[in-house]
Amino acid sequence: MPTITLPQSKDLPAGTIRRWRKKAGQTVSKGEVIVEVEGESILAEIESAVDGTLAQILAPEGQTVSANAPLAVVNADVKSAAPAAAPAPATSAPAAAMPAAGKAQPASSAPAGTVIPIVMPKAGQSMEEGMLAKWLVAPGAQIRKGDVIFEIETDKAKMEVEATDGGRLSRIVLPDGGTIAVLQPVAYLADNDADVDAFIASQGGAAPAAAATPAAQAGATGPAAPTAPANPAVVENGRAKASPAARKIAGTRGIDLTRLPAGSGPGGRIISTDVPLTAPSATAARPAVPAAAGGTRRKMSQMSKAIARNLSLSKQTIPHFYVRMTINAEPLFAFYQAEKLKYPVTLNDVVVLACAKVILEFAAFRSQIAGDEVIEFQTANIGVAVAMDEGLVVPVLASAERLTLAKVSSETKRIAAAARAGKIEGMGTGVFTITNMGMYGVEEFAAIINPPESAILAIGTAREAVVVKDGAMRAGRVMTMTLSADHRLINGALGARFLGRLKEILEAPSVLL
Amino acid sequence: MSKHFDIAVIGGGPGGYVAALKAGQMGASVAIIEKGHLGGTCLNVGCIPSKALLASAELMHHFQHAAGLGVELAGKVSANWTTIQSRKDTIIQTLRGGVKGLLAARKVTLYQGRAALAGPGQIAIEQNGSTQTITASKTILAVGSVPSRIPGWPTDPAIVCTSDEALHWKTLPKKLLIVGGGVIGCEFACMMQPLGVEVTIVEMLPQLLPNMDGQIADLLTKIFRKRGIQSHVATKIESLTIVGQAAEARLSNGTTLSADRVLVATGRRPNTADVGLSAIGLTADRGFVRVNDRMETSVKDIYCIGDANGRCLLAHAASAQGVVAAENALGHDRTADAPVPSAVYTFPEIAAVGLTAEEARAKGRPISIGFFPLSHLGKAMAVADTDGFVKVVRDRQDGRLLGVHMIGHNVTECIGTATAMMQMKASVQDVADTVLAHPTISESIKEAAEDALSAGLHLPPRKVLRLAGGVA
Repeated sequence: MPTITLPQSKDLPAGTIRRWRKKAGQTVSKGEVIVEVEGESILAEIESAVDGTLAQILAPEGQTVSANAPLAVVNADVKSAAPAAAPAPATSAPAAAMPAAGKAQPASSAPAGTVIPIVMPKAGQSMEEGMLAKWLVAPGAQIRKGDVIFEIETDKAKMEVEATDGGRLSRIVLPDGGTIAVLQPVAYLADNDADVDAFIASQGGAAPAAAATPAAQAGATGPAAPTAPANPAVVENGRAKASPAARKIAGTRGIDLTRLPAGSGPGGRIISTDVPLTAPSATAARPAVPAAAGGTRRKMSQMSKAIARNLSLSKQTIPHFYVRMTINAEPLFAFYQAEKLKYPVTLNDVVVLACAKVILEFAAFRSQIAGDEVIEFQTANIGVAVAMDEGLVVPVLASAERLTLAKVSSETKRIAAAARAGKIEGMGTGVFTITNMGMYGVEEFAAIINPPESAILAIGTAREAVVVKDGAMRAGRVMTMTLSADHRLINGALGARFLGRLKEILEAPSVLL
Repeated sequence: MSKHFDIAVIGGGPGGYVAALKAGQMGASVAIIEKGHLGGTCLNVGCIPSKALLASAELMHHFQHAAGLGVELAGKVSANWTTIQSRKDTIIQTLRGGVKGLLAARKVTLYQGRAALAGPGQIAIEQNGSTQTITASKTILAVGSVPSRIPGWPTDPAIVCTSDEALHWKTLPKKLLIVGGGVIGCEFACMMQPLGVEVTIVEMLPQLLPNMDGQIADLLTKIFRKRGIQSHVATKIESLTIVGQAAEARLSNGTTLSADRVLVATGRRPNTADVGLSAIGLTADRGFVRVNDRMETSVKDIYCIGDANGRCLLAHAASAQGVVAAENALGHDRTADAPVPSAVYTFPEIAAVGLTAEEARAKGRPISIGFFPLSHLGKAMAVADTDGFVKVVRDRQDGRLLGVHMIGHNVTECIGTATAMMQMKASVQDVADTVLAHPTISESIKEAAEDALSAGLHLPPRKVLRLAGGVA
């Protein structure tokens, strides 16, 4: 079968495939334009040099090729098969290109050569898939039967795999780190690369252009396709459509953006909030979705999804523990009522300021775990939980310890209003969060830590209660605070001391002025 | 006991003062030490004064061409250099006060004096002969740079100057020789010519603006020539001597030039010699204190930003690095890797961001180039300023926007659009899909992007080669 190549031209020393006008399986005639190629500042239309059927595209759109590189295999009609080996028509500057060694064969050659797939071995009864840890040979290498050619990793062991056949390693389709079901091809032995394309096509798959580029790999839909293919809606010219922030986050979290669903940015661009917190396991089965029995479904908003992911991450990765303390809220209540006459202030504002002061005394409460290091911050940037329809968001009051109570109040109001309007201030800069359900009459509750912070304080209502003092009962007012803390940074005694100190301040709140 | 700060910033230029503001905003206690005026090179002897002077020169230039727009000036239009200078000085005064106010608002402690590292976490500040020491957990070096001088040349400041002196000249020269055709040299040439100064530029490298797109440099050279500004490129000055009240330069091409003033604009060197680097074991590489992307030097808790680290000698790069250094010093993890645009305030202006075609080819990227001449653009015609073009460099393989290069009316304001696109890692298709206001100069970015995709509508169709496929 003749291979159509990029002709030599001084105006187009190399070009990038812009568009195939013909698809595999379509008939082409000599002189008909089959593909558009783009150079630095010129376009070129390449004509077929023979009559026949386009059997296989070798240079996919977006690939850059130089002169004489193979573009496509054409099944020549009998009448034109002979001239195909002769010099190319006159519109082309050079005569027929020299066949590149091992690249393609003249039309008159024998039928396609032998192609031997190399498969992922089934190395154990229970083995269903294997991860190819590392290739020990490179494409083009001659392999003898018995050579160790790659290493695999299963859920149980790591082992070396020997070749069961000899020959030239033509193409690797599962790169290092790829996972595939057992007995599926990971590479092909063949003397001739074009034969591999034909072989894969005959197996019902598209030819993967090169195993090295994940994006190209992901385009393959054949039996050898990796378990988590790239999402074509996200890939543009072999590259995920994503903002720089999303790229950076994905990089640090080890997430392949091409495997994500379309993002919420313009044209499906993935933006930072679309990137999941952890890389999805390629092999994890999705939980079966139960048949909706009369229920309705709706898509979660990006914000809801982000909040949901954050909550799961926190509860699943941070060892929470809880310390609860009830304080005498009478002085606090009286203080609050007196101050309120002078400027707008809430009970919560008093708690925020008190916490800010106490946090400065307890370094663990302004520390974060980052990998195997602990980062300690010098200021009490306090997150204030704000309830919204889509979930809870936490804007941050920067350096709360430096503010006056009036300022805490006005700033908290401002950042809460901004959060409701969609702008979450200081996101990610907080060291500690306060959440208050007092206004709903909740007596006490335990909150989930807002990662990467080390603790969160849940405040209940300042309620009237019977208090016992010196053996006598009387009507009083109490408030219960529940600290959720990361046990990796804060132990029980420290949590208790923190609450004790907070109680001390809140029971004599005038020190805050 | 010496006063302690979370962060000390040495140098109050656009890198240092922004670092100090950021650290202050984040709640740190901050000291900033400045030996001269706040605002550094940028505000005092760089960006701002040169732009102020250029504004007057450009207005003169417009008056000289006003008749073409139907504006006839009766009588003589003349420039008053003294007023031009004092207007510039007022702007500098105002901005210095602004920086001081901003620092005060962030509760940054300002020390006026000469700082030197005295040991780990220790900084000695010398002021009026007395020295005090402060301590800091982290130190950000933002000591900037000064114009290079050529060793062995006459130093008479009345004749042989650098930009530091030239921006404050009391009188205009008659004939000016500019040594170095970089940004400073070209801006000065542009500024002096409309004021009646006869200007000659001598550049050692083969083009003006050696770091920029070659076609842009060619066009600028041509425009300069039309205005009477002579450029000698690929030319060295073999010797410079003072003869009476003038300088005489012998060029490598055999020419001898005489000028009553010489501006040496051959580059800048880092200001790191007297900062006491050795006291903390920090070494400099040709004067520059090298840093990683986090702006960390080789010594723990010491950061270096701006001209002094040699990465990019531009004010806005220094400011961006200052923010990164301040955040990292306070425990965050930031890198300075955003694309940094450059702007040249000649008229026409020049601006660029990203790779030039030459640089992309050298990196082995397959590219396509989009080009759009401003002579085709309605806005450029309307303002009678059609010299110029936009060049877009696209990665042919993955479609990415690699660079945008512009010369023309107001392009320093247009480059922001391209920079935002680069920052967002846009593809050239994204740029072509963006709707830009008409009529503007910015439109030409979209037009050039479309051209890079061979999809331009306001240009004749691209040439299409028809080739017969080879057969193998």
